[in-house]
Amino acid sequence: MTAADAISQPALWPLTAILFIPAVVAAFLSLPIIPKAREEAIRWITLATTAVVFVLSLWMAWPQLFGAVGPAQFTIGEAGMQGIVKQPWIPAFNIEYLLGVDGISMPLVLLTTFLSMLAAAASWPITKHVKAYHVLFLLLETGMLGVFVSLDFFLFYVFWEVMLLPMYFLIGIWGGPRREYAAIKFFLYTLFGSVLMLLAILMLYFTSDLRMLSPEQLQTAHVIAPGLDAAAAADAVTAIKTAADPIHTFNLLALAQLGQLPNSPFAAVNLWGMSLEAWAFLLLLIGFVIKVPVVPVHTWLPDAHVEAPTPISMILAGVLLKLGGYGILRICYPICPGAGLSLAWLVCGLGVVSMVYGAFAALAQKDFKRMVAYSSVSHMGYVMLGLGVWSAVAGNEFRWDAWAQGVNGAMFQMLAHGISSAGMFFMVGVLYDRVHHRNLEEFGGIFNRMPVYSGLAVAVFFAGLGLPGLCGFIGEVLVTLSSWNYSRVLAVISAFTVILTAAYILWAIQRVYLGAEYKGPHGDHLTPMTGRELAIATPLVFLAILFGVAPQTLFSYVTPSVNKQVETLADWTRRVRPDAPGAQEPLVPAAAAVAPPAAATAQR
Amino acid sequence: MDLAAQLPTLLGLAWLVPLASFIAILFFGPRMGPHGRNAAWVATAAIVTSLVLSLAAFVAWLAVHPVKAVHHGGHGEAHAADHADAGHGDSHHDDHGEHAEHAAPPAYSGDWYTLYEGGRLKLSIGWYIDSLTVLMFVVVTFIATCIHVYASGYMHDELHDVTDHEVHLSSGGHLHRPGRFPRFFQALSLFCFSMLGILIAGNLAMVFVFWELVGICSWFLIGFYYERKSASTAANKAFIVNRVGDFGMLIGLMALWGALGTLQFADATTTAADGTTVTTPGLFSLVRPAEAGHALRVPDGMVTFAAADEVATIAAEKAADPGAAAAEIAGRVPGWREQGFGGWLLFIAGLGIFCGCVGKSAQFPLFVWLPDAMEGPTPVSALVHSATMVAAGVYLVGRFFPVLTPDALLVIAYTGGITLFIAATIALVANDIKRVLAYSTVSQLGYMMLALGVGGWVAGLFHLVTHAFFKSLLFLCSGSVIHACHTNDMRKMGGLAKVMPYTAGAMLVGCLAIIGAGVPFVIGLSGYYSKDSILAQALSFAQANPRHAILYYAVAGGAFLTAFYMFRLWFMTFAGSPRDHHVADHAHESPAVMVSPLIVLSVLSVVAGWTLPGGFGVANLIEQSRPAGTVETATGGFVFGQALTLPAEYLSHEGAIHVTATMTAFGTALAGVLVAAAMYLWRIVSPDVIATLFRPVYSFLAGRWYFDELYHALFVLPALGVARFASWIDKGIIDNLINGLAWAARQLAGIDAWIDRTLVDGLVNATAGATWNAGLGLKKLQTGRLRQYVMFIAVGTVALFVLASMLFRSSFAG
Repeated sequence: MTAADAISQPALWPLTAILFIPAVVAAFLSLPIIPKAREEAIRWITLATTAVVFVLSLWMAWPQLFGAVGPAQFTIGEAGMQGIVKQPWIPAFNIEYLLGVDGISMPLVLLTTFLSMLAAAASWPITKHVKAYHVLFLLLETGMLGVFVSLDFFLFYVFWEVMLLPMYFLIGIWGGPRREYAAIKFFLYTLFGSVLMLLAILMLYFTSDLRMLSPEQLQTAHVIAPGLDAAAAADAVTAIKTAADPIHTFNLLALAQLGQLPNSPFAAVNLWGMSLEAWAFLLLLIGFVIKVPVVPVHTWLPDAHVEAPTPISMILAGVLLKLGGYGILRICYPICPGAGLSLAWLVCGLGVVSMVYGAFAALAQKDFKRMVAYSSVSHMGYVMLGLGVWSAVAGNEFRWDAWAQGVNGAMFQMLAHGISSAGMFFMVGVLYDRVHHRNLEEFGGIFNRMPVYSGLAVAVFFAGLGLPGLCGFIGEVLVTLSSWNYSRVLAVISAFTVILTAAYILWAIQRVYLGAEYKGPHGDHLTPMTGRELAIATPLVFLAILFGVAPQTLFSYVTPSVNKQVETLADWTRRVRPDAPGAQEPLVPAAAAVAPPAAATAQR
Repeated sequence: MDLAAQLPTLLGLAWLVPLASFIAILFFGPRMGPHGRNAAWVATAAIVTSLVLSLAAFVAWLAVHPVKAVHHGGHGEAHAADHADAGHGDSHHDDHGEHAEHAAPPAYSGDWYTLYEGGRLKLSIGWYIDSLTVLMFVVVTFIATCIHVYASGYMHDELHDVTDHEVHLSSGGHLHRPGRFPRFFQALSLFCFSMLGILIAGNLAMVFVFWELVGICSWFLIGFYYERKSASTAANKAFIVNRVGDFGMLIGLMALWGALGTLQFADATTTAADGTTVTTPGLFSLVRPAEAGHALRVPDGMVTFAAADEVATIAAEKAADPGAAAAEIAGRVPGWREQGFGGWLLFIAGLGIFCGCVGKSAQFPLFVWLPDAMEGPTPVSALVHSATMVAAGVYLVGRFFPVLTPDALLVIAYTGGITLFIAATIALVANDIKRVLAYSTVSQLGYMMLALGVGGWVAGLFHLVTHAFFKSLLFLCSGSVIHACHTNDMRKMGGLAKVMPYTAGAMLVGCLAIIGAGVPFVIGLSGYYSKDSILAQALSFAQANPRHAILYYAVAGGAFLTAFYMFRLWFMTFAGSPRDHHVADHAHESPAVMVSPLIVLSVLSVVAGWTLPGGFGVANLIEQSRPAGTVETATGGFVFGQALTLPAEYLSHEGAIHVTATMTAFGTALAGVLVAAAMYLWRIVSPDVIATLFRPVYSFLAGRWYFDELYHALFVLPALGVARFASWIDKGIIDNLINGLAWAARQLAGIDAWIDRTLVDGLVNATAGATWNAGLGLKKLQTGRLRQYVMFIAVGTVALFVLASMLFRSSFAG
């Protein structure tokens, strides 16, 4: 298929357009013909661009809203990959421009475009180097979207890196007093993860062999281009199956198919006592958990958040942290299921440690924004726990629904946290813009000074608290309930977090919003919210309520894809690893299990 | 329209109308008349609508399930007669001898809404309606209506600007703020919605949802005067302490959900596409299956869950044939159950759910929040912290009763006993009129828990209903007193009966009701009946289990203490001569809008316990919903080794037990009143002398057993310490490590640069100049050395992860 063919196919352009419109506008803005002094115009162009991208992604994700469903649009409820775009990019290494979305990535794409739009609106107070800021901001959006829609591992990696640099400059130039330290810390942490990821990518690539896949698997993995007629497809399959040398691939779907083979090539190779699969899983996991972030590789987050300007904090917490969870779900587990099963305890353990540790650390913070940053560490711990609870083992008769519930809960938690944490950071920013400090001890009485703002802020913080009826509740409850089947100890510790969460959020609300009078400097600047700020805060609160009251809005996208993946992996466990131990501990001392039968049955 | 369709419609609407009121006041409250005055009407109209709808449901229920006198041993009859439509299996005419096959009570259930569905797991919003639900709907909406009316008078201060004398500003003055009349009714409406949501809930997940919402409403209402530090702290304390209970509740939910995959109370019947109906069993029939005669047994799911190792062996061996594996496992379940697998799980599930109830119903050891919650306006105390929210815990124990094992019930009974005793002792010495009532509430809730724990299912819930009436009455009376005196301190009151006759009279009725006053064996106030049945059941339990006789003494002793502190309160407030003339001179009877609810509630406090000729009465109405399998005496126990006997409740209504219990109740109450009168009315004994005589005891009680101090030292301070420690690890260890690595990398980079300068540069001096300049430029950005930094951190962390995986999991292999 040539490029000309590709352009003529309408199914190919929406994802590409969503992906590259921000980059193209960024390139345009960076041209010298746009005078630096036209700051207002630059802001409006950026906002309009992000709005167009958002509407376009909404058009794709929710066709019913726009009337008839076109072939290029997303079918809600379908589990598989949709909107596949496939073009050769670097044929020598089988690197392709391969895009696609399913129920896992589609809502994340929507979240990204939505938050980018709000963050663009929240960028008005930025007055330094406005042009450069907006160029980098738009590049960042393309980078984030690229990670979510790439199905080629190399392309994924390129976008992962593309996203990194704008973020580095956005923190390092437009940040607070310690911005350079925070920026270099963020950069080094993430780059370190990227290096390991690159190592894993190369390991997987050079071990992969497309010849091992059946024709059907090649088809579903889109190794064979969709839309080929039967004869051409058969030829393509034959060409692969009869090749003399191994055909390596970066295709994520094909890698997953290979990884789940009973004779997985990744499990076959042994390196220094561990299988290559386990090495790849660990390396990728480190790369992703730095992004999530989990304890103990989380210390870049509070610094980055405290120093970053408000809109960048919104993006950072709302979208960037989700890249880690997305990577684990999309890449680690399907490609390296064996290691995933063996190391589920590590994923869950990191999650629970982050939940508790983040909550405790949040309790100790004096800086409002730092407190919110640690709440992100705690909340993203739920995501890790939900992704990891691989309870579909023999002791559970390979039943997958509890694990699927955990993964669905983790996905929901990612999206809900995208809304609530972006909201929380924005709310902190509103105060900071007025009084230029964030010391929790020097607030108080804001409720009486700014009632509308405080009402919205309390709603957003309650969403973070996991109050029913708001978006934070569903994910937390699903994850916590699902963890019991994997490990009782972890489940109990994770349930314990609800106390800490209530403590740090309510305490912060008390210190900032309640009380009789404002105790800090610049009290006369506490003016009501502006229309622009209201326009940013209201949609976030609205979505927090919508997702809390009607979680099906998200589950209708997420559940089919997640269930399919989990069911596949549960089936893989039964076929390939039926004797794998689960993580369940004995519930009570063994003595209790042999209590006199009379006592056990006498109740009548 | 038949009952199965009517009830969810009527009660569903009754549940949602307050939500509509909340939303309306949220958006338009301040615009509802001058200062939002009409918000009170909106909220009151909403709750009256709910009351009317609940009454309609009540009538509809009675039309199909008439309440009949319960003849001992004839429990089956009432059910059999009106069982045609409930669809709950067959029912039997049976008498004492053959109660094993007792039928399931009439109940209606279904789902409105699905929150999550995946595989066989489903979380939903639905209904479970039996006579208890209908009764509680009427009680809650009725009391809420009274309190809405009362509050529209009580809260009139909020209709104009308020000067809060309890808030001292840094400028030295007091806080002036605009009134927030609508905000109060907004929160009240949301609270009613949440509370009714708990009542109607068809599954435990929904209970948990509204459980939390009730908690946050309570946070809003306790913290209504949020400018006061004490109020916002009390609000936080209430919510966080409740969350401690919810932590336990989550564990209970997990234990049920993980093993059974459902949180529905009742069975659900769904019709598949091909017309076949599938019945999914709910918790009640999983734990008390009809084929086992509704006797309690560990459900299959819990047995296989606890026997996971055995299951794993079978499933792994037969991985290729899942059907055969499932069949073998199913065949082995009865044997595993005999061996005791899963008993602990059921026990923990019950205990976990009870933990939630401990928080919400302010039981030991989580009762510390309730007295502080008196920071809220008094109508809130009456509605939220006496009649409804705190009742939710008792209600849930009652609702969840069929799933509770005898051991769990024993824990509940002891928790109730300890609570009722501790709270009663603190109430003896409290001087704040609302705090006396708060501790009395805690104590009475302890009574209810104890009653449920000793098998008095009807007794506990009966007391819940009667207590709701007289305690809301008592709180509203105290509000009337505070409204008149502008103080909570009883030491400044006295002789108020002369100026506030209606309030004094109503409060006397409340006091008599709570102590269970009545003419033995003839007639009494509502509390007489409910308290007697608790005492009788406790006695019956003590006789069956002599080792636990102390529970009976706790109940009897508590009755004495209750009578003492309630009449101490009444005498100090209304009797004698005024102690503080400033207060007495300003005191006045409250306006009609506040007094009329007092009169209505007084009447109900008298009659709520009565049983009409023909059998109509609260107790018999509750009896209709008695969980299947709990009619007869049961013995059992999984955990504590020795078997427990839960005596049948009807046994406590007859013969010697009944007589002993009634006489004990009468005697202890009379003694309590007489001692109070001797000290505070006739002044024969001076309370001050006694306080001095027993100084250490008095201080201990006045210090509220020092629970707050204890918890502060045991939990709050360590938690904050851990928090600071975690924060320090970040800065002191992790960041120092990272910074140190960066420093080391820079040193190495320096060496690298030196090699470059001396060796490489010497060789290729000509090209070096350009490279050098570029390098200098890059150095400023610090990117020139990144590779080294990264390598060091990389090697370190990979080593850490690998080491961790090696250490903790020897079986680790990809």
